[in-house]
Amino acid sequence: MLKYFVKRVLGIIPTLLCVLLFLFGLIYLLPGDPASIMLGPRATPAMVDALNKSLGLDQPVYVRLGHYLWGILHGNLGESVWSKHTVASLIMSALPNTIVLTLASMGLAALFGITLGVLAAIHGKTLIDHLVTVLSLIAVSIPDFVAACLLLLIFAVRLKLFPVLGGGEPGNLGDQIRHLVLPVIALSMGWLGYIARLVRDTTLEVLDMDYIKVIRSFGAPMSYIAYKYALKNAIIPVVATIGLGVGKLLGGAVFVELIFNRPGIGKVITDAVFARDLPVVQGGVLIAAFLFILANLVADLSYAYFDPRIRYE
Amino acid sequence: MTQEKVLSELSHRWDSFRRKSQQRVKKIAQIIRVISREPRGLIGASIIGIILACAIFAPLIAPFDPNEQDIANRFSAPTSQHLLGTDYVGRDILSRLIYGARAAAIVSICSVGIAVIVGVPLGAVAAYNGGAVDYIVILIFDVIRSFPSVIMILVLAAIFGPSLLNIILILSFTSFPAYGRVARAQTLGVKEEECIMAAKSLGATTGRILLSHITPNILSPIIVLAGMDLAVMIMWESALSFLGLGLQPPAASWGIMLKQGYTYIETAPLMIIWPAIVLITTMLGCSLFAEALRVALNPREREPNE
Repeated sequence: MLKYFVKRVLGIIPTLLCVLLFLFGLIYLLPGDPASIMLGPRATPAMVDALNKSLGLDQPVYVRLGHYLWGILHGNLGESVWSKHTVASLIMSALPNTIVLTLASMGLAALFGITLGVLAAIHGKTLIDHLVTVLSLIAVSIPDFVAACLLLLIFAVRLKLFPVLGGGEPGNLGDQIRHLVLPVIALSMGWLGYIARLVRDTTLEVLDMDYIKVIRSFGAPMSYIAYKYALKNAIIPVVATIGLGVGKLLGGAVFVELIFNRPGIGKVITDAVFARDLPVVQGGVLIAAFLFILANLVADLSYAYFDPRIRYE
Repeated sequence: MTQEKVLSELSHRWDSFRRKSQQRVKKIAQIIRVISREPRGLIGASIIGIILACAIFAPLIAPFDPNEQDIANRFSAPTSQHLLGTDYVGRDILSRLIYGARAAAIVSICSVGIAVIVGVPLGAVAAYNGGAVDYIVILIFDVIRSFPSVIMILVLAAIFGPSLLNIILILSFTSFPAYGRVARAQTLGVKEEECIMAAKSLGATTGRILLSHITPNILSPIIVLAGMDLAVMIMWESALSFLGLGLQPPAASWGIMLKQGYTYIETAPLMIIWPAIVLITTMLGCSLFAEALRVALNPREREPNE
């Protein structure tokens, strides 16, 4: 296990380096002069020069690359072009919101997905099974931004059950939770359907195994078997897809944060994209990519922990 | 072994290779039959068919010009003239939805096509050559895949600016590694097979082996992946247009319509509901079709009691 762990952790280093290089190279992909593009058509030459200087664009490439990497090593992601906040502080103030949103959605999706999946498998080929299958198919098919719009329209605007926009008052936990409900449902729906489907198929396979048949022939009740034996096996593929899921949810969080006007890293990045605030885009994407790589690493490691065969490949 | 013996052995292997290809054609025919027998497959295929028909024959089907404004008649509820009502400048929602199928179809088909054309040869060449080429190609794939695709797409769309061509290029850029990886894994399995050895000893060039012997053998999982990706790309076209980074108003796109509905969420719920229904139905059609395809390709699931 230790060997596998070291191998996987070392394996992400080249990827991380390439991500950094790509983000550094981003500024060269911009058609035209980066500073004047960021400042827009009304910028004076003096403003462009000043921005060039503060971004270090007047220096040779290798010096800038050195500064860039040095800065990142020290947690310095640069400064926003517009607000003069540091990028790190902008991201740090937004990140907890996104993490809460993502984790809550993941938890909701896992809880209901696994329950529904096991339920469907136990009641194989009955109404419950068909219902779960159809519902999970529908849930998977609804893109999260469409789900967010519909939930907002139905539950916030029409029925007025939940607040429409924002992340809730800071410090007021109840208010924040009320603001979290609809975004979490919108974000978790697709993943919930996916997990339910996955768990149903795995559980059906497990329930077909000889050892389960033996336990059943001893007269153990189905609910006991499902909880005690089937569930443990059914969870493995869910764990394996958590890395994928975090990526999907982080991505979906961009839309959900935008539609519900919630503070979060997705909103920071999209706002920066529209404001052409390149340092913020670079920093935000770096953190998002880093989280994504980290989640995949954790998922891989936990998969290897549950399934020893992986370690010896 | 005499030379004749070697040659007869080779021609025997060649025959077995041809037989394999014929079996593949038969298998595809069988898959189509299974899908059409499966109700899920039929529903999915008909939804996809309707969308495609709307995309191709939009000017013939749509009752109005998608950009014809009728300010006096704005926010109209469904009437016999405007079957689904009108939007905030009085444009016919049904006509705009029909034209929106065009944007969806163009973006999804083109971007999946480019991703396949770029990704599959890269993956196949990497696996066939091995060594440094393989390592570099895998590294490229891994780097692109290590960004959450949404964020990658957002950044690229913001840098290159919104246009139809740019969306297609960006979407294919973020999805070609998936095809590359599948092609690579498949090629690794195929390249040790006897028919490849036979072709090699008959003196076929690397290019020829890759093109006419390896490619046909690795195509079927790629077709499944491409089929499922079409839905994802339709979703992306709408999502980017929704954000304002895709097609630009006044173009008719489901994403733009949804965005305009979002702006008028308090006053005109129909402007959200119709494009949402169309998008969900399209996605559902694609999921059903993919499901049927999966069942057709996986005979284990085709038991009579299923």
